[in-house]
Amino acid sequence: MGEIRQIAIYGKGGIGKSTTTQNLTAGLCEHGKKVMVVGCDPKADSTRLLLGGLAQKTVLDTIREEGEDISLDRIMKEGFGGTRCVESGGPEPGVGCAGRGIITSINMLENLGAYTDDLDYVFYDVLGDVVCGGFAMPIREGKAKEIYIVASGEMMALYAANNISKGIKRYARTGGVRLGGIICNSRNVDRELDLLRAFSKELGTKLLYFVPRDNVVQHAEIHKKTVIEYKPDSNQAQEYRNLAQAVIDNQDFVIPTPMTQERLEEILMEYGMMDLADDYRI
Amino acid sequence: MAKLLDKQRYKCALGAMQTVQAINRAIPILHSGPGCAQKLSDGIGSSGYFSPNIFPCTSINEKDVVFGGVKKLHSTIENALKVIDADLYVVLTGCIPEIVGDDSGEVVSEFADADKPVIYASTAGFKGNNYKGHEQIIDAIIEQYLKKADNRQKGLVNIWADVPYQDLFWLGNIRELEKLLREIGLTPNTIFGYNRGIENINKIPEAEFNLLVSPWVSVKNMKKMEKKLGIPYLHYPTLPIGAYETSKFLREVGKYAGIEVEKVERVITEHENYYYYLIERYADLFLENRVINKQFSVIADAQYALGITKFLTNDLGLVPAKQFIVDDTPKEYREAITEEFKKLNYGLSADVAFETDSYKIHNEIKAHDYHGYPLILGSYYDKELSEQLQGNYLNISWPVQDKVVLDDFYAGYTGGIRLIEDIYTVAVQRFN
Repeated sequence: MGEIRQIAIYGKGGIGKSTTTQNLTAGLCEHGKKVMVVGCDPKADSTRLLLGGLAQKTVLDTIREEGEDISLDRIMKEGFGGTRCVESGGPEPGVGCAGRGIITSINMLENLGAYTDDLDYVFYDVLGDVVCGGFAMPIREGKAKEIYIVASGEMMALYAANNISKGIKRYARTGGVRLGGIICNSRNVDRELDLLRAFSKELGTKLLYFVPRDNVVQHAEIHKKTVIEYKPDSNQAQEYRNLAQAVIDNQDFVIPTPMTQERLEEILMEYGMMDLADDYRI
Repeated sequence: MAKLLDKQRYKCALGAMQTVQAINRAIPILHSGPGCAQKLSDGIGSSGYFSPNIFPCTSINEKDVVFGGVKKLHSTIENALKVIDADLYVVLTGCIPEIVGDDSGEVVSEFADADKPVIYASTAGFKGNNYKGHEQIIDAIIEQYLKKADNRQKGLVNIWADVPYQDLFWLGNIRELEKLLREIGLTPNTIFGYNRGIENINKIPEAEFNLLVSPWVSVKNMKKMEKKLGIPYLHYPTLPIGAYETSKFLREVGKYAGIEVEKVERVITEHENYYYYLIERYADLFLENRVINKQFSVIADAQYALGITKFLTNDLGLVPAKQFIVDDTPKEYREAITEEFKKLNYGLSADVAFETDSYKIHNEIKAHDYHGYPLILGSYYDKELSEQLQGNYLNISWPVQDKVVLDDFYAGYTGGIRLIEDIYTVAVQRFN
């Protein structure tokens, strides 16, 4: 049994991090991998598709109501394909420090022995952007050594991806964290594939996989399932299996080279995005 | 590159807890970690009404960081009101709740109907030092407690000076300033120390004017009171020490208050006669000794650096070497304070540095030729240096480790005499 591959998924809010992570996880399960998913988002919806709903009580809710003397099975539930699902959760909106909450939760998982040797992968599904030190927790102190950024051909998604890369670069020197690549969750923007490839190249990484847009993802979500569970024979299910294979095979881990705002806009111009802004189609 | 600040001479804003403790029957409620409370509670002589070491504190921990500490703050205030018999409850917030974003003001506002007043001051350490924290406390009293008065009391003057406990001589100084004002016919009102408290706070809005005796601390408070309570203020930047400055001070206050000149002059003459009688009796000591050299440096907050420099130059005829102001004076006040150091008698003017780093201060002192034994008036941090330089050293500012001050003071005519006694006691001890 090799070392656990601990992977953090970052990306702009609403880009499809949780959906991608859970479908990817389902794909890895089909490849016989043992996976734990840790949702690092106060919304606590990172494991919904694997668990078939928000059945989970979050780590922080449990600590708040029951104190810190809790057993692992109170906060960890088993989901699709034997995945272990944990939601960090957060304080009530408007009070407390959610960033510190992530740190508390991950420390608690460690103390309770959640990181067992039989695990192949641990995924951290982190909210929005690297907003503060707390949300950078998975990439600090060597928790997650691999980062994937979910992006699309939209400007703000790329802007966020570039920003996240700055965070990764900051911790790369001390924590040993590396960027494994960009995962495109397609929005069917013009020349999206070319743009993402160019963007990834500029960041010093690669476009790991291009996940096409397919409405079956939305259908599966309504049914609280991953696509692989909901429609295992669909094209999209195969796309996620391929993504899982790409992650398994990936050996390119780099310190990203984030670009200036000017350079980012140049790339967007080059791929016609700025010119086509009025002709935006989904 | 990382900078190292060596031996700074103040605490964080939460240190303003001591300002609350200086108000009789007022109690601080700390919304902070237990470490902050422990560190700040070791001040000598800060027993006050309750105890320097026993006061309500939320003692927040990791759980309160994650979920917010407002519930704990609420219960701490609630229980403090039940078990501690005080006249004023002042909530002070430390760094953690301010970073996490606890809405302490909202929690405190829930106690608006309590039998006793509960107010709060945002005193996170990252906002500045305890001089600024002191201003925050006064600000909280003005903003959250005081109301504009319908009637003004002729001759009633609120006196404000520097920071209690941070200023070793705060109690004696403020009493002496009260005494001087009373002598020229005014009615002083102060809120700190023995036999003062909530009733004096209640009287603040009725005053004819505020008198601020400080280079910069509380200038903002004066402006706020002027705006909110309609009380004008006289800002006298120099703590008057000795005859020259104290007489000047009385003339200026008298003029501002519209007191007849003859009355003020009578008081001044009486004091000066006695003052110079004492000086004359000891003139031999001052003139003949070869121990107190001509040159001196004060290492203190703006209040003492300015007050003592003026006193030693104007009254004792000593020559100022460089003076060091260590209270991290806000930039907006520095120019005016620097100007004050140019207004010395005999055509003298003093170089002044705003410097918080003792390492740099000590290097400058070591490099300067004092033409004999340097006279250093500073804090305990300067004792070792003074010994190395075989200087004469007197501890007049925080931190104080080798001196006990109950109500001694340097303000006024008497204060000047006390300072002379202290300095020349050091001098005569060299050979005895």
